[in-house]
Amino acid sequence: MKRAIIIGGGIAGMQTALQLKSQGIESLIVERESELGGKLRDWHVLFPSFTPAADVLSEMRHKIHATGIEILFSAQVADFSATEVRLADGRTLGCDAVVVATGFSLFDAKIKEEYGYGIYDNVFTSADVERMLNEGRVTKADGTTPKRIAFLHCVGSRDEKVCQSHCSKVCCITGVKQAMEMKRLFPDADVFNFYMDIRMFGPGYEELYREAQLKHNIHFVRGRISEAGPTIDGRLQIKAEDTLTGRPLRMSIDMLVLLVGMRANDDNTRFAATTGLQQAPSGFLAPRDLFLSNVKSPVAGIFYAGAVSAPKSIGEVINDGSAAASAVAEYLNA
Amino acid sequence: MSFFAPFCIPFLAGVVVMFVLLLGKWGTWFWHLPAADKQLILRGIPTKYTWRAVKEIVNESLLHRRIFRVNPVLGYMHMSLAFGWFLLIVTGWIETMAHMGVRWVPLQGHVFFRYFSTGLEHKPVFDFVMDLLLLFVLSGVALAWGKRFASRRMGMRRTTKHVLGDRIALSVLWFIFPMRLLAESTTCALYGGGSFLTGGLGDWLADHVGTLALMNLEGVAWWGYSSCLGIFFIALPFSRYMHILTEIPLIFLRHYQLRSGEKEKSFDHFQVEACSRCGICIDPCQLQSVLKINNVQSVYFLRDRRYDRLQLDVADNCLMCGRCAERCPVNIDLNTLRLNSRDTLRNVPDERRYDYFRGIDRSSGNGKVGYFAGCMTLLTPRTMSSMASIFEAAGEEVWWADREGGVCCGRPLKLAGETDSARRMMRYNTELFYKHGITTLVTSCPICLRVFREDYALEGIEILHHSEYILRLLQVGRLKLQSNTRRYTYHDPCELGRGSGIYDQPRAVIEAIGELLEPAHTREDALCCGSSVANTAIDDVGQTAIARSVAKELDATGAETIVTACPLCKKALSRGTQTTIYDLSEIVAGAIVGNHSTTQKK
Amino acid sequence: MATINFGYSISKPRTIDIDRNNLRKSNEILREMPELQTCIGCGSCTAICTAGNLTDFNFRKLHTLIRRGEYQGAYEEINKCMLCGKCRLVCPRGINTRGLMLLIKRKLGDY
Repeated sequence: MKRAIIIGGGIAGMQTALQLKSQGIESLIVERESELGGKLRDWHVLFPSFTPAADVLSEMRHKIHATGIEILFSAQVADFSATEVRLADGRTLGCDAVVVATGFSLFDAKIKEEYGYGIYDNVFTSADVERMLNEGRVTKADGTTPKRIAFLHCVGSRDEKVCQSHCSKVCCITGVKQAMEMKRLFPDADVFNFYMDIRMFGPGYEELYREAQLKHNIHFVRGRISEAGPTIDGRLQIKAEDTLTGRPLRMSIDMLVLLVGMRANDDNTRFAATTGLQQAPSGFLAPRDLFLSNVKSPVAGIFYAGAVSAPKSIGEVINDGSAAASAVAEYLNA
Repeated sequence: MSFFAPFCIPFLAGVVVMFVLLLGKWGTWFWHLPAADKQLILRGIPTKYTWRAVKEIVNESLLHRRIFRVNPVLGYMHMSLAFGWFLLIVTGWIETMAHMGVRWVPLQGHVFFRYFSTGLEHKPVFDFVMDLLLLFVLSGVALAWGKRFASRRMGMRRTTKHVLGDRIALSVLWFIFPMRLLAESTTCALYGGGSFLTGGLGDWLADHVGTLALMNLEGVAWWGYSSCLGIFFIALPFSRYMHILTEIPLIFLRHYQLRSGEKEKSFDHFQVEACSRCGICIDPCQLQSVLKINNVQSVYFLRDRRYDRLQLDVADNCLMCGRCAERCPVNIDLNTLRLNSRDTLRNVPDERRYDYFRGIDRSSGNGKVGYFAGCMTLLTPRTMSSMASIFEAAGEEVWWADREGGVCCGRPLKLAGETDSARRMMRYNTELFYKHGITTLVTSCPICLRVFREDYALEGIEILHHSEYILRLLQVGRLKLQSNTRRYTYHDPCELGRGSGIYDQPRAVIEAIGELLEPAHTREDALCCGSSVANTAIDDVGQTAIARSVAKELDATGAETIVTACPLCKKALSRGTQTTIYDLSEIVAGAIVGNHSTTQKK
Repeated sequence: MATINFGYSISKPRTIDIDRNNLRKSNEILREMPELQTCIGCGSCTAICTAGNLTDFNFRKLHTLIRRGEYQGAYEEINKCMLCGKCRLVCPRGINTRGLMLLIKRKLGDY
């Protein structure tokens, strides 16, 4: 009986395992944490339909348990080849194919010091907002209600200054989604989104953007916030250029949300060096090509699923998982 | 005894041409010195400075001690050529006197004494000493050949790429002493004399070459020797070998306190032509070692400037980190020369520029201590908030000069060469400081620090970098820090270390908090972060590549925390590593007893 | 106040007429610094600008107009810059803004 090992038990890994199972191939998910779900566990609702992340996640978990797919929890992968996965604790797992579904890392907003994350109390990241929404308590640090909220797009994306040149793709729509959620929570608050470009690439995204503007009166300001600082009365002051008027803009706000980008995992470099995988300039693992072999690595028997190869939305990641499973099946049955 | 033979003509012609050119050049340079510089020389001559200069000339022009310190093999090479040749001349002079008594002997008589002295009684002691000295010089020539063909083995990764004139002079120089060996040996073969070297080779020649052939060879060899000398002397004023003689007046002038400034002046000629193009400045240059840029280093800059073909792209492409100047065996003030070249190429005085510097004082607070964050520090708010915590903990009343924006200190513009416009900024800030009545000026930016100290005339105001200020607070007990067991490493900012000589203060502050580990290149030899405001030529990719290479060394120390004391270095290095870079003030604010601000590490 | 006064009067056409404008200098600048084409006009340089904090100096607009062949008044405008280098530290496209400033001055002022 041939067996595939899936590294990473997030959405991509789970979908790959399920599809492999339906094609009659055994798999083992090696997961770093003590439960499945990856980053989706911390998400509240998914764009553009506001579907609760928990709904998606619980259904997938349920299926995994129902099919009895084997999972190894709390296991760190040291390195691997197409036929063997070595764990950090020294164990070695044999297999016939490997699917790398290790996902991405979130950009550490502290690096953009000028935005004051980790310095001022009311600067949050988009991940913080999802967490607060999940906890059902979105407030300023002192527990009060924000009157004015600013979102900043492209934090740690398209930024040579932090060596992240790529577009993280999902932050634009996340910014629109979170702005709407804020507006629903605080109808009296003013919400401003500061952007360089708005990229609405997915189904229903443009419609959502329009809805945010039309129904929720969310202000979109074309300009990148250059710095945030404290005001005497304990609020935040942000500065930007309002590039459409060509004038500097400053405003006081109660909350600044940084839409942090998706960064390639640091592990990718090590995997590339030891396994012969290739990294794209962005640091993500590059598939053999972007068309017919877009879930295959350059090494036979090693496959990619999900955001390990590029920033992707949840829907795309699920497709990727299915595609990777098909590719694995084709490889093992050959 | 007639002391003349036709073969002496090339040599004599060379000597005459060289001295005429040399005196012409030096004369013009001295003539054009500003009156103030001439005053300095006149006042300096009868003082101890003259003796110190003589001592330095012996140490450097003859013995080359500074090169020895950089690289002993290279030092030996230069010493054997310079000091060896000098001793050959002096001993030759004494030898002539020993034979002829104290009487006038023409120049060529001393130089070609072996040729003319065949009829005289041999003095074996002199023969031996002269042979020994010739061997000494030849060993240097051999090393010079070796350096050309295998520079790495000499400890130099790269040597200078020379211009045609230099190549001619260099080739001739290589052959002067081998030709002398051959000439003296043939004479010894024919007439006897010489010691182990010329005598030995002479004996061998006498055994293996017929007398007629030897006589022809002797003529050719002496002609060759004299021609090599002549060509070398004529080439000298046009080539890099001008440094041999120019270093001597330079050392005197330097001891008389002449200095180059932000505007070109006549003294610069002495510095520019004192460059031997040894190429020691190439290896420490990070533009070379990291970015493989090979035509902008100080040696090439000075060469281009000397031959009047300096272009902005060469003048601009320098980090002005000062690593080369630190090693220059002639101690040329490389950064200042580059700065005043930029001034010549770019400065456009404009009296109306910055007329908007009126009514723009946005400073806040009140106190005898002024804090000038600097433009760059405004982009590192953690440094600002940490300084606020430190001032608060020390109970210091502070006047914040530029928290809401201010006028730049002027150094970035000055470094670009627009020195006159930079002066306008300096004037504005000076007036601002006096208006608010401060007695101490603290800045977190070493770029600002340097210009405040060097170009602002801030009498009555003490200028401190925050590292010095913090250390002082610690020493007088106004600030108490909780030490920990973390290991820190420190990156020396160029403008703070080599620029302002501040190495120990930040280290003392770090050691008051935790353990300090030094990176491979440190203190005077510290690397530049690559984002220096002095360089407007390299692109973002280049800056990041340098930052990576520097951060790699800092990470290699094994320290958990990388500390620096410059907002620009902090920003630059952050791009080169995943490790967080902290400003000195941040780790201090985090360690203040009783302070639990957000600046503390997670 | 609303926009930069580049010194042209009301009667002059407001249109940026690329057909009429001489793009030679603009092209020279772009040839020497191709990265200027990567500007996405985010305005970071202008928002952070030390001189822009004190005057109506707008670097983004200035170099965009120059790229369109609108040079009038640009040299005088660029002289407001203090070359402090903050803009270079924030540009997300990694444009060598200080070098660009000097390049524009050289091309328009011919030193």
